Parts: sequence; C-alpha cells; structure tokens
Amino acid sequence: MSLMTDNAPLRSAAWRISFLATIAFACGTLVIFVFLHQFVSNDIQRRSDAWLSGEVGVLGDVAGRTPRNALYGRVVGEIAELAAREVPNKSASEGNANNSVFFLQTSADGLLQLWVGAGDGQSNLEAIKTTKFLPDKPTDVRVSGFPVPFRVACQQIGDGSHIYLGLSERDELRVLTKLRLRFFLLWLLVVLLGFGIVFLTTRRMLSHVRKITEVASRIGHSDLSRRVPATRRNDEVSQLAHTLNRMLDRIESSMHQLHTITDALAHDLRSPLTAIRGKLEMSLVAMNGEESAEPIVSVIEELDQLTDFLNKSLDVAEARADALRLTRTEIDLSQLLETMVDLYEPSMTEKGLNIRLSSEKGIIVLGDEGLVHRMIANLLDNELKHLAPASSIDISLQCSGDLASLVFEDDGNGFDPEVLEHLFIRRVKGRNSTGHGLGLAFVDAVARAHSGSVDVENRRSRGARIRVSLPLAPEERRHQLTATAQAG
Amino acid sequence: MRLLLVEDEIDIQGFLRRSLQEAGYEVEVAPDAKAAEQLAVESQFDILVVDLGLPDRDGISLILRLRELGLRAPVLILSARRSVDDRVRGLEQGGDDYLTKPFALAELLARLRNLLKRNSPQASEATRLRVLDLELDLLRREATRGGQTLQLTQQEFVLLEYLCRNAGRVVTRSMILDQVWGMRIQPDTNVVDVHIYRLRGKVDGAGQQPLIRTMRGVGYVFNDR
Repeated sequence: MSLMTDNAPLRSAAWRISFLATIAFACGTLVIFVFLHQFVSNDIQRRSDAWLSGEVGVLGDVAGRTPRNALYGRVVGEIAELAAREVPNKSASEGNANNSVFFLQTSADGLLQLWVGAGDGQSNLEAIKTTKFLPDKPTDVRVSGFPVPFRVACQQIGDGSHIYLGLSERDELRVLTKLRLRFFLLWLLVVLLGFGIVFLTTRRMLSHVRKITEVASRIGHSDLSRRVPATRRNDEVSQLAHTLNRMLDRIESSMHQLHTITDALAHDLRSPLTAIRGKLEMSLVAMNGEESAEPIVSVIEELDQLTDFLNKSLDVAEARADALRLTRTEIDLSQLLETMVDLYEPSMTEKGLNIRLSSEKGIIVLGDEGLVHRMIANLLDNELKHLAPASSIDISLQCSGDLASLVFEDDGNGFDPEVLEHLFIRRVKGRNSTGHGLGLAFVDAVARAHSGSVDVENRRSRGARIRVSLPLAPEERRHQLTATAQAG
Repeated sequence: MRLLLVEDEIDIQGFLRRSLQEAGYEVEVAPDAKAAEQLAVESQFDILVVDLGLPDRDGISLILRLRELGLRAPVLILSARRSVDDRVRGLEQGGDDYLTKPFALAELLARLRNLLKRNSPQASEATRLRVLDLELDLLRREATRGGQTLQLTQQEFVLLEYLCRNAGRVVTRSMILDQVWGMRIQPDTNVVDVHIYRLRGKVDGAGQQPLIRTMRGVGYVFNDR
C-alpha cells in the first residue's frame, strides 16, 4: 500500500510538473523583461540626447552672439543654469541640479574659459580632452571623482572655441535600477504564486490518481468488491476511474463465474465420493477385519487420494487465475515449522533421512491456515518421497526484508533438468516420481495467492534448493523495526 | 440422543442414517431447509447435522434461522465446498463444528461426541486416565503400564492421551493430525503411522496385551476387544 504514500514531495509528479512549469514561466517573463528594459533604456537615452543636442545648440548660439566682454561669463553662465533646471528624467528629491549638469567652454587652444557646475571643472576638462567627440552626437564621458559617467554634447563656435554640455547619467540609471528592482519583486511574487497554484492544482488532481492507485493495489486476490473512487467531474482522471471500475466489474464477474464452476465441480464430485466412501466404510466395519476386506481398504485409500487430487487441482486452477479464496489469520511460521518437523521427523528417520531445522523465532505471516499447513506438508512429503536413504534435509526459516524466507535444501539427486524448467506447471513430474505431479504446482499456487513466490534450483554441489518467500504480517514488520531500532 | 440430519442427497442420507443409528442415535431426516425448520420447531433435538448445499436454502441461513427460533443444540456442518467461508468460521467460534466431504464415518462420530460433550455440564476433569493396566497421570505427564514407567516424549504423551480418551472407538489419521498436531492436512505419506508405530513399541511390550490396533483403511482403535 506504500506505493505513493512515502510522502516524499520532491519525488512526486505534482512537484515535478509545477517545478518545470515555473521554470518555463520564469524564463519567459525574464526574456520579455530584458526586451522591455532595453527599450526603456534606449528611450531614456534618446530623450536625454535630444535635450543635450537642443540645449548645446541654444548655448552655442548664445555664446556666439554674446560679445566677449566682462559680462560674457555671467550671461552664458546664467543661460546654462537655466537650462540645467529643465533636465529630463530628473528625480524630484534632487534639488541641486549642479551635480547632474555641467557647462564648459574651452578656448581654441584648449584652455578652460568658462565653467558652470560643481567643483572647478578641471577633472571634467581632463576627461573631455581624452574623449573624441562627433558633431551632433552626445558621447559618454567618465570623469574621475564621479561614480556615474556623463553624457556630453559638444559644439564648436565661430572663434574656434568649444562648448560642452554634460548631463550625468545618474538619474537615468536610477530610473532603470528602480525599474529592475520593481520588476524583480513582481516577478518573484508572480512566479511563486504561479508555482503555488500549479502545485496545488496538480497535487489535487494527482491525489485522485493516488487514491485510485491505493484502492486498486488493495483490491487483492480475494477482495474484488471494492471500487476505485470516481469524482463527479468528467475529466481524464474520473474517466480513468470509470474505466478501471468497469474493468473490475468484468474481472469480478468472470471470477465469480470461475468460483461457481469450481464449486459446482467440487460439489458434484464430492457428494458421490462421500456416498461411496461411506458405504465402503460401512461394509468394511461389517466384515470386521476379514481377509476379503483388503480390496475395500485399498479402494478407500484410492478414494482419499482422488479427493486430495481434486482439492489440489481446483486450488491450483484457482490460484493460476489469481482467484484463490483466502481466510487470513496470523500464523506463527516458526512454531508451525517446528510442529511440522516434529510430525515428520520419525518418518524421515525411519527412511534414514537426516532432517535439521534452523529457524528464527516469532516469524508471523498473515495467511490462510489450511493452505499454509498443506503447503508445508507438501514440501515435507515431497522430500520424504523423493530422497534416497542417508540424504539430509536442511530447513531454514528467516526474515529477509519484509519477507519470511523458508528454504528447503537437500543433498539428493536434485531435479531433472528437463523438469526444472516447467516445475510449476500442472502434471509435470520426474521420471521416477510416483505422485500426481501437483505437489510443487500447489506450493507455488499457495505462495502466489499470498503474494509470495517459490524459487527452485539445483544446488551447485548436490541436491535441490526450494525457497518459499511469503510477506510478513504488517505487525511483524513493525516489531522488526523496533527491534533493530533498539539494537542500533 | 435425538439427532436431526438435514441432507438432500439420497445416497448420503441413507448411509448416514444407518451408521448414526448403529452408533446409537435416534435419527430424524429432513431433505430440505423447510422440512428441517418444521421438525426443529415440532420437537427437541440434542444435536444437528446440516449439509450446506440444500436445495431450497443455504445451510448457514437455516442454522441462523433455527438459532433465532431458539435452537440451543450444537450443529455439525457438512460442507462439499472447498473453502471454509467466514460464516462457517463464525459458527465454529460459536461452538459448532464443520466437516468437509468426503469424510470418514469415524471422524463424523467423534466430532458429534465432542460437540455433545462440550455442551453437557462438564464433570470435573479427571487427572488420571486408566485403560486396562495402562495409567496416565495428566498432572505429572507420566504414563505407566503394569507399574512400569514408560519413557515417552511430550508429543508421544499427548498422542497416547488422545488415544486413551477415545479408547474403544475408531480414530482416523486426520483426526489424530487435527487433535494432536492441530492441523487439517492430508499427507500422502505415512507420517502418522510411524508415530503410532513408535508409540506402540513403547506401550505394547512383549507378552503384554496389545492396546493399539490398526484398522486398515479406517484408522486405529485403542483397546478394542
């Protein structure tokens, strides 16, 4: 039942789906933002370039017309100050525009003629001298002492002097930074929200699938009456549930048919067998030990064998169709095996066989008592009938994982290699076998009906090894866990 | 002892009636559930033998119906089905018993006796069993024959005790397996015979009267004279 209930969300499909969807969504929005960012930053640049070009044109005009007298510096300076107040993208908090704008005029021989702006303008002049300007095209200039570059436009006026108007890119960068930050926060929010929504939706949908799986896995060999839960919505999941349920209906009805047939067969054969056996027994009692009673005795024995054969055949047939009906109780395998070996030991000794049992204590399985008893009796009968005198049988029982592992090893002749391949098929038997060839098929059938398995092989040295694995009772598993926890 | 046999197969009905009468029961036969209900209401029975596959109704529902009507007598269920279903288990826990067909007559009789004994007021349990010169001390788990202590294993003692308790009656191999080893199996080997053979070697010494007798095709009888 622990198919999907391990509660490892990182391994669940819901997690995977929402993770991938989120990654795709995040990447997509990121690409869109990069384009948008590019567009915005180009636009801002274009605006400031237009402003710079316009202003530097005006200033150049003013500078060219203003006579070079004592008032020249004041007039041009005043105009430059005025221009600086109309700086584009200016942040409101920044009252002083001097930091973001400078005006500079150099004479034809490259000396500083006029300076409007913060500081003495020497460092700006240095930077401008090392930069090459194109007419009508503002250029980035890095000035030492300022963390952000200036965008500077240049114009030459009539007397060979140059005027430069510089605008700090600080505000522009601030706008872009703010844009990026806001985008990032929104992006994070949307991505997380999207992840949450996708995760919850898929988990909800898949939890239906999980419920279906859980119920379907619980619909075992005998309990076919359960149905997987179907939702009212007509989506894919509920269609799956409906399809499964229809399939189960069909399986249940054919299983029911099989049971009806086998039961009818058993009943129709057993009733006459009962009558025959009863009558024979009565005449046997009437004869009271006469010699002539011998044929009747052997007929009764043959009838009993026939009954046993009938039972096993039907059990094997039902088990092959996964239709064996079980009445499960807790069975202490360790104790059962001890009793069984106790029961068989005298017969084994009689035949010169050596039997050894090594068993872990308290191994409990959930099984059908009658079937498990008969299965083990079958295995022991098998050894008793087929082993040559002076052979030995080693029986061991232990837990391996959540399985009880019962191993029969002998040092006899092993299985005929031809037979070994189809050992579990009905009516296969060795050349010298006297049984009806159902023994191991029955063992296999019982093990399979209990969700277990049987492995048969010839040992490398000598003899055969039969391993029967049956699932431990759940409680037993818990005991084991606590035992190991205490040990560790 | 009045016994009601509910069985529809004429053949089985016939031999069961005869052998039950031979065993000392006063037998009434009902071929279906309806007749059985009528008979059970009209008169008192000490014990019932009910086949599960009746023509008009399921045997279990008949038993449940009779219980509703106030039937107290124990029931031995005969089943030709292969699996014992939960309702039979329920009845078994309620003090009834079941037997699958085909069965040995000896086993049927033994199960009837057990059911009757279970339902009769229990005499105080004996602590010693005695058959001829064989004596079993159930408290000390010791057996003596003619004053000589027998060296028995625990399992052999349980087997001998079971035989003593059924002295004079036939016990089958499957009864021994069920009662002594607690298993309903049908081994196709001689496992029970070897146990009996060993026990006989210890109990029936040379010159003593043999206590364990084999009845071929049926089982064993302890002290059958």
